[in-house]
Amino acid sequence: MKSVASSHALPFALAIGMAGLITAGAALAAPSVQQPAPDFTAVDSNGRSHSLSDFRGQTVILEWTNHDCPYVRKHYETGNMQALQKDSAKDGVVWLSVISSAPGTQGYVKGDEANRLTETRDAAPSAVLLDPEGKVGTLYAARTTPHMYIVDPEGTLVYMGGIDDKPTSRRSSVKDAKNYVRQALAEMKAGQPISEASTRPYGCSVKYAY
Amino acid sequence: MILKRTEMGRLVNALAACAIFFFATMSFGAAQDLPGLVQDMLSPQQAPTDSAPVPSVPPLSLPNAERKVDASLVSEVSGLPVGGEVWVGLRQKIPPGWHTYWRNPGDSGEPTHIEWQLPDGFSAGEIQWPAPHRLPYGPLVNFGYKDEVLLLTRIKAPADLPVGEPVTLRGHARWLVCEEICIPEDQEVALTLVATSDSPGADPAWAELFENTRRALPQPAPWPTTVATGSDGLRLSIDASLPADRVSDVAFFPYEDGWIDNAAEQEARIGAEALTVDLQPGYRPLEGILEGIIVIEEALETGTARQAFRVVAEPVLAPAGLAGPDITVLNAFLFALMGGLILNLMPCVFPVLSMKALALAAKAHGERQHAAIGGAVFTLGVLVSFAAIAGSLIALQAGGTQVGWGFQLQSPVFVTLLAYLLFAVGLSLSGVFAVGSSLMGIGGNLSAVSGHRGAFLTGVLAAIVATPCTAPFMGAAIGFALTQPAAVSMGVFLALSLGMALPYLLLSLFPSLLRFLPRPGAWMERLKQALAFPMYASAIWLVWVLSQQTGPQGVLVALAGILLIAFAAWLHGATREGARGWRVTGAVGASAAVILALVLVRLPAPAPSPASPVATASLPSDGLAYEPYSADRLAQLRRENRAVFVNFTAAWCVTCLVNDRVALATQEVADAFARWDVAYLKGDWTNRDPEITAALREFGRSGVPLYVFYPPADSGRDPIVLPQILTEAAVVSTLDSLNRDIIGG
Repeated sequence: MKSVASSHALPFALAIGMAGLITAGAALAAPSVQQPAPDFTAVDSNGRSHSLSDFRGQTVILEWTNHDCPYVRKHYETGNMQALQKDSAKDGVVWLSVISSAPGTQGYVKGDEANRLTETRDAAPSAVLLDPEGKVGTLYAARTTPHMYIVDPEGTLVYMGGIDDKPTSRRSSVKDAKNYVRQALAEMKAGQPISEASTRPYGCSVKYAY
Repeated sequence: MILKRTEMGRLVNALAACAIFFFATMSFGAAQDLPGLVQDMLSPQQAPTDSAPVPSVPPLSLPNAERKVDASLVSEVSGLPVGGEVWVGLRQKIPPGWHTYWRNPGDSGEPTHIEWQLPDGFSAGEIQWPAPHRLPYGPLVNFGYKDEVLLLTRIKAPADLPVGEPVTLRGHARWLVCEEICIPEDQEVALTLVATSDSPGADPAWAELFENTRRALPQPAPWPTTVATGSDGLRLSIDASLPADRVSDVAFFPYEDGWIDNAAEQEARIGAEALTVDLQPGYRPLEGILEGIIVIEEALETGTARQAFRVVAEPVLAPAGLAGPDITVLNAFLFALMGGLILNLMPCVFPVLSMKALALAAKAHGERQHAAIGGAVFTLGVLVSFAAIAGSLIALQAGGTQVGWGFQLQSPVFVTLLAYLLFAVGLSLSGVFAVGSSLMGIGGNLSAVSGHRGAFLTGVLAAIVATPCTAPFMGAAIGFALTQPAAVSMGVFLALSLGMALPYLLLSLFPSLLRFLPRPGAWMERLKQALAFPMYASAIWLVWVLSQQTGPQGVLVALAGILLIAFAAWLHGATREGARGWRVTGAVGASAAVILALVLVRLPAPAPSPASPVATASLPSDGLAYEPYSADRLAQLRRENRAVFVNFTAAWCVTCLVNDRVALATQEVADAFARWDVAYLKGDWTNRDPEITAALREFGRSGVPLYVFYPPADSGRDPIVLPQILTEAAVVSTLDSLNRDIIGG
């Protein structure tokens, strides 16, 4: 956590090491919008392997999810997330749902259960990526479910943050919410710059292994 | 502190930035060229038309027994003052392992929310959030509360309430409670109070919880705070002088998400004059002020005190490297070495050293051996001088004195003498009196005259004239050095001095380098004369410093002394070539003038400098009239049979400041003091004070805060020591109960 460097608190060895690297390793290093989106390869719920770079030329949405998280449930049980998935699919947007829950934690599922969830919830992702080791999550510094990212056809990260501006688990909040992802997609389609490209993600913590 | 950071400090920081650049690593995960298999999945899946039923939505409000958090609405006082206000709190009892959230929940989560449903005419304020804790979860960090928290809200009551009638305050509270999983919970809470016309008394059931919660509320920080944005982080600088050995932990909590990386380690450094906290940037750039709270944990003799301060950090421009978190020991040595090199170009040092180099150039074809030894001895002189200064500084610090680098410049005597010296060097360069003669043999070809002793003394001279330039110039490295173990501090200073001596050392070790110096000639004399002006400028600056320390009188003394130095130099120079009698007269007259100048320094005892670094940390007024503590005054008040409250405090003691604000600045306390005619003495231990040290020892303490209440002497009762974490209730009840006893008995 915090280290207080005082006359007798700073170990010599630490000082000789490179403090910058040590601190960088301790936390998630967040990617930045307008920078190349970090590439990754992950296996989906049907055992197929995907790399982000495979989708060059298409807009890609990454959605961190955990089906038991109350905030995720708000968006699925109101049909909000499914509507966004279907609407964006109409524009040829690739939707990758990512599950970074570690085995034994909330939201962890195997492929067949992920498929069953997609079916029963009438969800429409292009693929559900299984990331039980949290590699993709760590790469994107995904911290909440949901946590949304948009990568443009050139492979640039153009949006990261919350799904909307109502950081609550109350279902009634959905109808009055400003959906940042929807807004960003509309602006991209219109050739406009994304007005809110980096917002506060809200929800449950991603259940990383630790 | 007298010396302000200057542009030159910025220059050094810029240099530091260059070095840090090499260490900085930015990786975005190298693109992996793995075969992309999939094309078929790109066509969006067709949604089944007969969609499966959406799982039923569970009721939002759970029955009490199923909630993780046991919440209730409690009041600080037992009645509702008509037309007044009352503090109520949502009390959350949180099961072990679970937590609820602060106003900014951190990486995930949601703050508690209360929707008030109050009777007409009532109004509720915002929740007052006590200082949260950092709650790590894997690579994430949240900000929140464990075990129990009281979220205070101020409720205002209308003036037209019927007295004696019960009033029910209702609210709908919602919160998220998480362990590994998160559960949103909500609950209807209510509290019934009876309207009263007078001010109701504290509800004893909750008094302690309210007191403790009040202490955990952030206070406005009494220190100016800035934030500098660098390429690799934010540096929060708080102009607080804190005792490094007492502060056990420091954490910053931002009010808004995204400015900082919540989970990243926060590196706090406690320097002599400022607390800095290095923060990793978040996902959105900081534009404007950085607002949040800083939580400082202080180790007291009776436990740990956790104090929160609200800070509004103004952005300051900073070179990229300033916010770099990593001045490591090696870096510090490196920067110190570079800084020392650059010092050679400083107005106060350059003339002295260039004279040395010119002298060397003049005898470029002399004995190599001699030159090499001379260079080594000169280097030794520089090293020894710096070691002596650094050694005394470290020793003073170890002895508990609050000193910073440049502490010697806090002495007006030292500053005056230094001004004399620089002025004299300037005169010598101007040719008013010949160099290489008596008067300590200032400047140029001293080495030629008196050999190794001269080289050594030139090294000492160079170090002495360098110190005023070092303080503002080497701020970063020296600030770092002083927070390090003595060996590291010394290493930094030695690296600095080695850097300073390096050019000359190299020239003397490798005389072939002298080929690159221009041929000696008349230009050397002109250059020498020109170099006098930086020396005069340095002297002027020192006199200005003096004016800050002592006012007009010190300036008068220094200028008169400078006049005497000038007279002595002229007399010496003028009589030097004359007959023996003249020479003797000149030498005696010049010596007399110099001695007079030196005596002058001591004549009007200069007013003590008010600008010591510790004094600048303001001690917030606690609103009570007090007299400064002295053992005599205490004894006198005791003889007068007065009750006395003594507050031993210090500007650098965080707990003291908070106690002053929270527990002593209140109307209740002022009333109690007035009620029992208590005399209030304050012992300020900001600067060392043997009298206070002795008083502390009398109560078995070695530090502040210490609060002692002396009942009137006639009562025959012993003094009472109050808790180090002071509360208003503790003060008032101590005064009341004791005095009541005495008067009642």
